[in-house]
Amino acid sequence: MELNSVNNNLIYRGRVWRFGDDIDTDQIYPGKYLPLTDKSEMAKHAMEGTDRGEEFLKNVKSGDIIVAGKNFGCGSSREHAAIAIKGAGISLVIAESFARIFHRNCVNTALLTLELKEAKEINDGDILEVNIASGEIKNITQGKVYKAEPISELERSIINAGGLLNYLKSEYR
Amino acid sequence: MTIIEKIFSRACGKKVKPDEYIWANVDIVAMRDFGGPNVVQEFEGNFNNAPVFDNKKVVITFDLHIPPRDEKVARNQQILRRFAREKGVKLFDVNTGVGQHILMENGLIKPWHIVIGTDSHMNLLGAIGAAGFGMGTTDIAGALYKGKLWFKVPRTIKIIINGILKYPVTAKDVILYILKNLTTSGALNRAIEFTGETIKMMSFDERITMASMVTEMSGDIGFIESDETIYEFLRTHNVENIEPINADDDAEYEKIYEFDITSLRPQIACPHSPDNVVDVADVAGRKIDQVFIGSCTNGRFEDLKIAAKILEGKKVNNNVRLIIVPATMEVAQQAEQAGFYKIFLHSGAVVVNPGCSLCTTGHPGILAPGEVMVSTSNRNFIGKLGKGGEVYLASPATAAASAVRGVITSPMELWN
Ligand code: SF4
Repeated sequence: MELNSVNNNLIYRGRVWRFGDDIDTDQIYPGKYLPLTDKSEMAKHAMEGTDRGEEFLKNVKSGDIIVAGKNFGCGSSREHAAIAIKGAGISLVIAESFARIFHRNCVNTALLTLELKEAKEINDGDILEVNIASGEIKNITQGKVYKAEPISELERSIINAGGLLNYLKSEYR
Repeated sequence: MTIIEKIFSRACGKKVKPDEYIWANVDIVAMRDFGGPNVVQEFEGNFNNAPVFDNKKVVITFDLHIPPRDEKVARNQQILRRFAREKGVKLFDVNTGVGQHILMENGLIKPWHIVIGTDSHMNLLGAIGAAGFGMGTTDIAGALYKGKLWFKVPRTIKIIINGILKYPVTAKDVILYILKNLTTSGALNRAIEFTGETIKMMSFDERITMASMVTEMSGDIGFIESDETIYEFLRTHNVENIEPINADDDAEYEKIYEFDITSLRPQIACPHSPDNVVDVADVAGRKIDQVFIGSCTNGRFEDLKIAAKILEGKKVNNNVRLIIVPATMEVAQQAEQAGFYKIFLHSGAVVVNPGCSLCTTGHPGILAPGEVMVSTSNRNFIGKLGKGGEVYLASPATAAASAVRGVITSPMELWN
């Protein structure tokens, strides 16, 4: 399955890593690793600054889903944060709300995000099935269904192109 | 429509609604010495030798590490000078000051403009009715190439402020008080429009202070209701054909807040959050080691003027370093002509060349662990100015009074 592309039937199924409110970019990607430029090296430090960074990095699997509270990705605008999360294999980040620049960085680097008001009802370890195009989130573990705001046409076109710069390059010129 | 809805509607040629995703042309793309070199690297890595979309609309400003403190910074500035030469874009070098202020003082920003840049406080341009946004490296690189960028239209919150401000209570006290009420996530991804009688009486410089701290509420942009005060500034800074912008009478707001600041006393944000705000009187007497007066939030003429009024004929306390940094060279020259430099130098202050200076790590003036600073800047997160340092945010008046006494001091005590 091609990660990080959006089409109408694509369902993401994954295990949840639960994080709290106001997780800032320094927790997602500590400043001391800013000099790294290799994406696979950057991925080795995703979420490292959070209180469960070690556990996350040891056990995260490709296709897993991050679910967080309010204002995920606040603080400094480093793009490394989105790149590292994607590199670690996370298919999708669901949060109650995102900080503006972090959300932009996710779209621009082709990492999927969904905003869900009820994000806090989802527990660590739950299995979700998410239809990105419709915004439907099934919590298989809890037997609940949520409806998030579906991803916009514009975000979809950028993500499908592989990020902002690829999108702009491929556009008419 | 609200102001941001009007700006985006015009920029993309159709009526936009909050939460909508749109493409819009940008009027100015700004880069600075910090972050700028990464943009150049990304631009050249992706688009090779392509020209920028419009060299008249790209501006580079040096405001953080000026003059360069080490070889790495010097090399970064060299990269930007080379890029500016090759692309034919305007570069404001180490002798100018804080980027956003430089853009305004050089008549490059007009009401209705959409401006993006690599600093987190681009949104202070809302004070003159322009939509300024801080952006990441990829955003800026893409906009440099195509002159357009995607936006999500923010919802708008209206904040009405009434009551007459009495010196030494100033705009900084008002915005800290509002931060206390709205908190650091209170305007998350929202536009704010400030209006009311207090705002109408504020000078241009005070309006900048208000607009700049919308970032600390996680807001996208803070607009100040435009009037003659703003048009006057624009006219005297070579802006022609000013086209005013204000919200329509039937604009729809997500929320409306009203504040009365008639009895407001000087406010201060305690470590380590800009919304951890109390009356200065509540923490008065706390020993301090350093004071910083400056930044994009409080580095303008009015800010230096009130500091000078308090410092005149007095000495900075022996246990305190007072560092004063005008926002721009224009401000510095006005301050010099008004006699403030004499007052500052005789009081024992260190006066630094215009720029961002102690707003962030990376500039001389770092705190040692356990040291305490009163700063007129906009952020006081842990480590913002050196590991283990503690930062209090306050007005230039509170900062100057505290510098004189060596402890946190309400400016009321030194005001006559
Ligand atoms: S003073 Fe600080 S917040 Fe303002 S522009 Fe400079 S670095 Fe940014």
